[in-house]
Amino acid sequence: MNSSSGQVRIRALTELDISRVVAIDERLTGVYRPDVWERRIGYYLRRDADACPVAEVDGKVIGFMFTDLRGGEFGLEDVSGWIERFGVDPDYQGRSIGRRLFESAQTHLRSRGATVLRTLVEHKDEDLAAFLRAVGFRNSPLTALELRADGTGT
Amino acid sequence: MNVEQTTIPKKFHDAVLHWQRHNFPDYDLLPQNWEKYFPNEPAFCLCAKMEIGMSNTIEVGDRQGAPRMMKPSEMGEDAAKHLLAIIRAQASTEFGSIQQHEMTLARAPEDEDRFWVLRVMAEELRHGYQMFHMLTSQDWSSVSSQSAEEMIEEILSMRTGSHVLDAFNVDYDSFVDNVVFAAVIDRVGKYQLAMQRVCSYKPFAQSMPPMLREEAFHLAAGVIPLRRWAQRAAQGAELVTMSAIQKSFNKWMPRGLEMFGHEKGGDSNIRFGFKNLKNAEAQSQYYEECRKMIADLNQRYLRARLPKSSPEQAESLAASLIRDRGRHQGISADDLIELPDPRFFRRKGEPAWTMVGTHGEVFDDVDSYVAHLRAVLPEPYLASRDLKQYVGTLREVVAGTITADQASKRMPNLKRVGGVCPCSNSVRWIVEEPVPAGRTA
Repeated sequence: MNSSSGQVRIRALTELDISRVVAIDERLTGVYRPDVWERRIGYYLRRDADACPVAEVDGKVIGFMFTDLRGGEFGLEDVSGWIERFGVDPDYQGRSIGRRLFESAQTHLRSRGATVLRTLVEHKDEDLAAFLRAVGFRNSPLTALELRADGTGT
Repeated sequence: MNVEQTTIPKKFHDAVLHWQRHNFPDYDLLPQNWEKYFPNEPAFCLCAKMEIGMSNTIEVGDRQGAPRMMKPSEMGEDAAKHLLAIIRAQASTEFGSIQQHEMTLARAPEDEDRFWVLRVMAEELRHGYQMFHMLTSQDWSSVSSQSAEEMIEEILSMRTGSHVLDAFNVDYDSFVDNVVFAAVIDRVGKYQLAMQRVCSYKPFAQSMPPMLREEAFHLAAGVIPLRRWAQRAAQGAELVTMSAIQKSFNKWMPRGLEMFGHEKGGDSNIRFGFKNLKNAEAQSQYYEECRKMIADLNQRYLRARLPKSSPEQAESLAASLIRDRGRHQGISADDLIELPDPRFFRRKGEPAWTMVGTHGEVFDDVDSYVAHLRAVLPEPYLASRDLKQYVGTLREVVAGTITADQASKRMPNLKRVGGVCPCSNSVRWIVEEPVPAGRTA
């Protein structure tokens, strides 16, 4: 995976992208959490770096999409490509960076045998839901349910 | 993944396991702890992996556009000899790094760091196994007087001190070396594997993508602990300091740069279609990547020291501290990590034996240079045979008793050559199967 168009280059995640992913996340959430991303990126690099495209402009990472291929979970026997983490630097939003990241991930996941792509979105995150619908996602017949481990609800 | 897995003939497979028992005794800890450290991840497999679906067309070199070759005999004698040397050197590095890692593995400050390195070691064993697949699955007899058995015996008999490349002949001094080695030396490995993806000999090209996927984690097993250590150093942790990390970088960066080969070389690799970059091009890209790695570590350190700083402020501060050698809120350039000059402490390539310091300063007498080395290299390494040999040879070069070229060819000095398996004075690594009754050997 290595493509470029104009100034935006899409390539596979590397360990040297941690700082920029942390910075993008910090801009999006207001929280500096390098430990979280070191752990997660360590995981994704063990799994398949090609399933985790990053977008860069002039050598600076400005967006990322981390996905993982799994099967047999929740009774879903299909090989599923899960879109798990996604972020675009606010300075670069509105330039189809997310779409290009998604297309790269989709192509790779399909080449590895994924028959369906899945993700979960918080109800309040309407922008993300709109983006996912724009690239083709539709409501799933699955319903996400959760319960606090101490049984007190969520 | 579009990968075909295969095993090498039993006597060679058993030889690898035999070698593992002596050189990598911690290997068995990995499956016992796999689920704890790598939950739900596919189990480790000691096998050769060949990428399926790669192009059949040669991408670079004199035969660009022709079909990729499937047998050594199709390459021509010079090219086949050249590739055989690459395969043997690569096999040497894979087994060599395990021997280095094993010596200090138990000194990991945390179990997670230890098991990450343990996984790296297991995957290096697989990479060595992959190279043995290259040696045993085809007939190289037209370009080598050695049989496959002899080549494998030779590689398995190498020890730290007798490997093909200098980086694999240097002992680790502490677990800092395990981690810096993964960040610095495995990064060279990534470049080599990436360049060799274009290889005109298809089985070798097919070996590269699965190894590259594993190498991505090896680099993370270096960089992520370094990032954590930088953060803890900023908070006053005394066990792994920025100075210790800097000294380890100073130890390994010169050896990493030399692994690309002489700066003026690499034409044959391009001409034969084995790699797509010349030595100097690849080395330059590597050096810039290391610069970025160190900038990231400094940013991690500074943001821990100055929690209110933004990523941009931390990056800018690190650059100005290093450039101006000033101080800011009690922090100086000495608290940060700096990339040593590419000419520093070199014994191979264009800058070999030139006595250049970490900041590019040039020394004109050996004693001053040795004093500089003593100040910037890890203390345990100062007593090493490797450094002693380097300094002795440097004195000869400066005195004019040998040329720089002769000195470079003297490294490594092929010491500590193993030979037989240590569990017996007579058994070698490959043990022939008993011949069934009724058959002749």
